[in-house]
Amino acid sequence: MTFSRCSAACLVLLAVSPTILRAQSPRAQSPRTAPFTTAGGEWPSHTGDTRGTRYSPLDQITAANFSTLEVAWRFKTDQLGPRPEFKLEGTPLMVGNVLYTTAGTRRAVVALDAVTGELLWMHSENEGARGAAAPRPLSGRGLAYWTDGVSARILYVTPGYRLVALDAQSGVRIRTFGDSGAVDLKREMDSPVLPDLETGEIGYQGAPTVARNVVIIGAAFREGGTPKSYRNNKGDIRGFDVRTGKRLWTFHTIPRKGEFGYDTWLNGSADNAGNTGVWTQITADEELGLVYLPIESPTGDYYGGHRPGDNLYGESLVCVDLLTGVRKWHYQLVRHPIWDFDLAAAPILADITVDGKAIKSVALPTKQGILYMFDRVTGKPIWPFEERAVERGDVPGEWYAPTQPMPTKPAAYARNGVLPSDLIDFTPALKEAGLAAASRFKLGPIFTPPVVSKAEGPLATFSNGPTNGGSNWPGGSYDPDTHMLYLSATNASPSALGLVVPAKGVSDMDYIRGFAPGAARGGFTVQGLPLLKPPYGTITAIDLDKGDIVWQVPHGETPDAVRNHDALKGIAIPRTGQAGSVGTLVTKTLVIAGDPEVTTLAPRPRGAVLRAYDKATGKEVGGVNLPAPQSGSPMTYTVGGKQYLVVAVSGGPYSGEYIAFRLPTPSAR
Amino acid sequence: MSQFPLHRGLRAAGLLGAIIAMPLWAGLAAAPAMHTTAGERHNDRTTWDSVFSAAQAGRGETTYKQLCARCHMETLAGGDEAGELTGSAFMSSWNGQTLAALHERIRTSMPTDTPGVYSSQQVTDVIAYLLHFNGFPPGALELTHTNDALQNIRFVTTPP
Repeated sequence: MTFSRCSAACLVLLAVSPTILRAQSPRAQSPRTAPFTTAGGEWPSHTGDTRGTRYSPLDQITAANFSTLEVAWRFKTDQLGPRPEFKLEGTPLMVGNVLYTTAGTRRAVVALDAVTGELLWMHSENEGARGAAAPRPLSGRGLAYWTDGVSARILYVTPGYRLVALDAQSGVRIRTFGDSGAVDLKREMDSPVLPDLETGEIGYQGAPTVARNVVIIGAAFREGGTPKSYRNNKGDIRGFDVRTGKRLWTFHTIPRKGEFGYDTWLNGSADNAGNTGVWTQITADEELGLVYLPIESPTGDYYGGHRPGDNLYGESLVCVDLLTGVRKWHYQLVRHPIWDFDLAAAPILADITVDGKAIKSVALPTKQGILYMFDRVTGKPIWPFEERAVERGDVPGEWYAPTQPMPTKPAAYARNGVLPSDLIDFTPALKEAGLAAASRFKLGPIFTPPVVSKAEGPLATFSNGPTNGGSNWPGGSYDPDTHMLYLSATNASPSALGLVVPAKGVSDMDYIRGFAPGAARGGFTVQGLPLLKPPYGTITAIDLDKGDIVWQVPHGETPDAVRNHDALKGIAIPRTGQAGSVGTLVTKTLVIAGDPEVTTLAPRPRGAVLRAYDKATGKEVGGVNLPAPQSGSPMTYTVGGKQYLVVAVSGGPYSGEYIAFRLPTPSAR
Repeated sequence: MSQFPLHRGLRAAGLLGAIIAMPLWAGLAAAPAMHTTAGERHNDRTTWDSVFSAAQAGRGETTYKQLCARCHMETLAGGDEAGELTGSAFMSSWNGQTLAALHERIRTSMPTDTPGVYSSQQVTDVIAYLLHFNGFPPGALELTHTNDALQNIRFVTTPP
């Protein structure tokens, strides 16, 4: 067994830390019957609440003082695993003056003093070969908190796919949960994980969602462009009892024979297909007792010839009952997925008023840059969707859906397809060079299908939405008072949807993603400039009562490569923003998000900026320097009358670090 | 795109514009500079100085395809999890850094399931491939990691 690492590490601070004693919260007096909320200045769930909002009503940090923020503490994560990590994506929780988060290459759990950053306890599991084989390794995106008013626990999923419950005060495993504090998520499946528990491909790097007394766990796999096989493990979603670890329910994201939707997989292909999990955050309405599952693509992100048919519940939003897992409604956003339009962002629960009528809605940001909105009780679209005829491709063996649903409102908030008018056009010469570079590709609107890659062209379909465009796992933020939604989006994360016959022994798929052998290479750049034109990244505010975009601003400094480019000297270029979906935080008055890239713009040091925008207008009102890009979504809390902002940064040569900011101490009189 | 005019930020015009576009809180003391280490390192070469050979990039490509392309893709565009190794975010995150830093990052952390599996030479070859793919010019000599040679070569985004 490889469970031993934790005890020694945990005990060190346990015995000696007086801080632990004050760690126990106001929350400890309130049983887990009321929904999680940030109203009391805490941040008790991954997105603040379980509703995907990333909202806090705190108002000490404002437009007037944001730029004066000082570092309260830093927590460097290098030594929490056998090597440093450069991809720290966590959003911490803060309950009762203690900050809880995941960090490091083994996905350690740490408890920190929320005022000083002092390490109170650390828990980590050395999972050996099973951990090394994890499809979703590294520090993950966070954890969950639960209390019954008497004791409190922290729940997280290890890289090797175990659900672990820890005592929030000591960091020690709760022995009465699962098997000595852990549930082996690879065992508790309706279909066995193949080929074995150690190497069987399945994991989850998201934070578990705790709603009432249920823990909901997602399922994730390796990158899906070049699968080894069209057969894979299935991404069932499960609910567990938070007290005992007992499995309460399983939702089959790929219907089994006899279940609804099985016939959307022709030739019985549901039996072989896998993936179709949820790798992003799961949202729950604790009051209604409903869970919203944003489901990813089936096996083969870009080729579906082994799974003809619409393929429910691939790329569908599915609403299930919190206590039973029984499906209430579903909506498939993309029929027969072949674009990697995984539902990548947490659904956001918004109680809105449309034409005078109160509606409990769910809003889903997507890679497509389209916000899909539904009545979250009935599953009915808030504004009508229209059926749009889409191009039928010519990849041998592929099955094509003739139409796709498209919301009529709100308008798309990010670029999805790529047309010649989307290409670089700063100067006539660059425009010409851009058109020449793009001539190797097939261009087209959203849902232009992948092509078989040919050296003589087209090399691939060139698009923006698939893989990394629009919104991704950081999701959006929602203000429940004003009914405004805030979304960061990337307009310049190009994807090449080219298919090749796999080399012998690589895969049993007929096609996998790739470029034709011998094809001329080159990135999606023109003389070092992005092939797609700006804005490269934006933040958009959408009024959900009306379905209208209220403002949109480029987010992030203009990249060095653009600002300093010889060919652009003397040309007025408005701030371009930066490619990269980053998480936003919305407070009483501000929308806060860090740059996804570093820039070098004297007099500030090389690095990124954590920016604040007036949430009413989008006007940038302040910023503080970060040593590296924002890599996890910011959160906020208040302790001792002071508001704190915490954000994870990492990237390039800069290893993972949590940085906490607060306002400066006033000078003594 | 129709969205762009909605932008309420500040407009830039060349060098002057770049200063204007800096938010007020950033101060107005100095003009933008590509990096500020000039003067410290007179002998610095950059990635524009033909620091690798095409043959070496070819070896690097073979290595890349063996273990890196699984996640970063053959297109270097990255995927749901793996970052991109081409384009603006990649270029800016290494702009001004030494190739030694890039080498250490890859050598110690990649691939994530078996870090350390590549020799320093193989990592150096992969860097040659990344540079080649991203449009930096090859030359007659190979990139070498010995004698701290990579400390003296800086990754610079913008052509000289």
